[in-house]
Amino acid sequence: MSQWSAVHGIIARDLTRSTRQTSRLLGGVARPIMWLVLLGTGYNTIASLDSGLPYREFVFPGIVIMAALFGGTLTAIGTVYDREFGMLRLMLASPAGVPAVLAGRSVAATLVGTFQGAIVLAFAPFLLDLAPGRWLPALAALAAVSAMSAMLGLLVASRIRSVENFAGIINVVLFPLLFLSGALYPTSGMPAVLRAVARVNPVTHAVDLMRHALGQPAEISLAAAASVVLGVTAAAFLLAALLFDPEQRFFPKRPPGSGSATGP
Amino acid sequence: MSFAIETEGLGRDYGDVRALDGLDLAVARGTVVGVLGPNGAGKTTAMLLLATLLSPTHGAARVFGHDTVRERTAVRRRLGLLFQETSVDGLLTPEENLRFAARLAGLGGRLAHAAAADTIRRIGLGPRAHRPARELSGGWRRLLDIARATLHQPDLLILDEPTVGLDPEHRDAVWSLLDTQRRDHGTTVLFSTHYLAEAEPADRVVLLASGRVVADDKPAALRAELGAEMAEIDGEGAERLARAIRGLGAAQAVLRTGRGYRVGIAGERQAVVELAARAPGIDRFTLRATSLEDVYFARTLDAEATVAW
Repeated sequence: MSQWSAVHGIIARDLTRSTRQTSRLLGGVARPIMWLVLLGTGYNTIASLDSGLPYREFVFPGIVIMAALFGGTLTAIGTVYDREFGMLRLMLASPAGVPAVLAGRSVAATLVGTFQGAIVLAFAPFLLDLAPGRWLPALAALAAVSAMSAMLGLLVASRIRSVENFAGIINVVLFPLLFLSGALYPTSGMPAVLRAVARVNPVTHAVDLMRHALGQPAEISLAAAASVVLGVTAAAFLLAALLFDPEQRFFPKRPPGSGSATGP
Repeated sequence: MSFAIETEGLGRDYGDVRALDGLDLAVARGTVVGVLGPNGAGKTTAMLLLATLLSPTHGAARVFGHDTVRERTAVRRRLGLLFQETSVDGLLTPEENLRFAARLAGLGGRLAHAAAADTIRRIGLGPRAHRPARELSGGWRRLLDIARATLHQPDLLILDEPTVGLDPEHRDAVWSLLDTQRRDHGTTVLFSTHYLAEAEPADRVVLLASGRVVADDKPAALRAELGAEMAEIDGEGAERLARAIRGLGAAQAVLRTGRGYRVGIAGERQAVVELAARAPGIDRFTLRATSLEDVYFARTLDAEATVAW
């Protein structure tokens, strides 16, 4: 009961916070839609793809994933704010402890990522011929990718100490993951080294999972894409659990008050 | 007697740095204990160890008989915690903050609502309870934070500098809230502070310096070691006067501080006053009751603070 109460409290708080950060919420929806309109329209006339798909159809799954990736990851990275202002220590010291914090945080971030991705997905009928039976798999893929994004966000949040690093995270982590994922252009056209990086990039698998869900040709099989997305989610959860351990038993720690890396 | 806190040789190293060294403590249930000491003395480390947020590198601690490492969950169920940083979410209303805290403490839906509502009434938040917490003053935020720490009626409150940065009115409100909590629920309170006067009413004071306990007794007993009254002497003739008071046999302790000398007076009060009135080079001479601040200077500063002529 106490575990569930704590998880419920963390989810409720995170969702309340998300709805009150309207500029971030609107930005999270407006960014992918802007990319969809500007990139999709602009490149549609000049891009020629081996698959024969119009560019705006090709880029659509990637933009849906982008919305989920940014929404889930940035919501989870909000944990850094809690560390900086002492709320995280309070949560970790509760009877429910680390698992409840991670569970609550990841569910809330997954819901935000899924919501932001679903808004973009709602544009599907205007851009591609989507069979009614594709909606459910697409939402399932969206939820799975949002969960992975949430866990990746928690993983990043476990090691950064200041909210000032947010812009850096977007530029150094999220954009490279997106550009090297096949979301905006096929990985088959990349140089060998970048293609190899793209193959191990979990976002590549996330994008292809969405392509399968929407009935588009994909470079990675459905089984492989789903396995990687679920596997990375589980692995990131376990690693985050170690990194969020308030004792920080696996990492060196400095005395309280001796610097910025002082606590959970 | 059953204890709220028992520690045996409790200590914590951070690499080569020993932040806390061999803390032996037995805190009776329902008592109020102040932990004092300079910055870096080990106060916060001791509190984090007792709050189960750190594991000791040596020694052990028990809270209500539960080991703080092996029985963390059982310990956490008995604790109310307050850290130096105010843990209030400015985007939520105070009511939402309190409901969140109740949920973290394991209270279910209706119980969480009831606990939050009761707390709002108790601290008199009124209509402020439903406005974003970021609109509250610093004092109200801290008061809300303390109410948050007590809303699930913990058996032990661990408070790290509960009144830091507060004006006297809010400091008074904080201590009033804690007094009520202790009186109504028998809560044990362990707190740290740099406002030494706040530790005067405590049942007991533990003084830490460089990770070690340098004094542990009732405030009155600690003050009595220095003398009933303290003479504060500033000016170029301060050392000469302090030596003269010692020569009278009236000095129980002599401390050198940054501003001058403090001399603990034992008997011969009138003779000391007359001596000071005649002494040259004295900018300030005051006689006042000995305080915990004097004990702090005598016990926690470096060896030069206590003068032995």
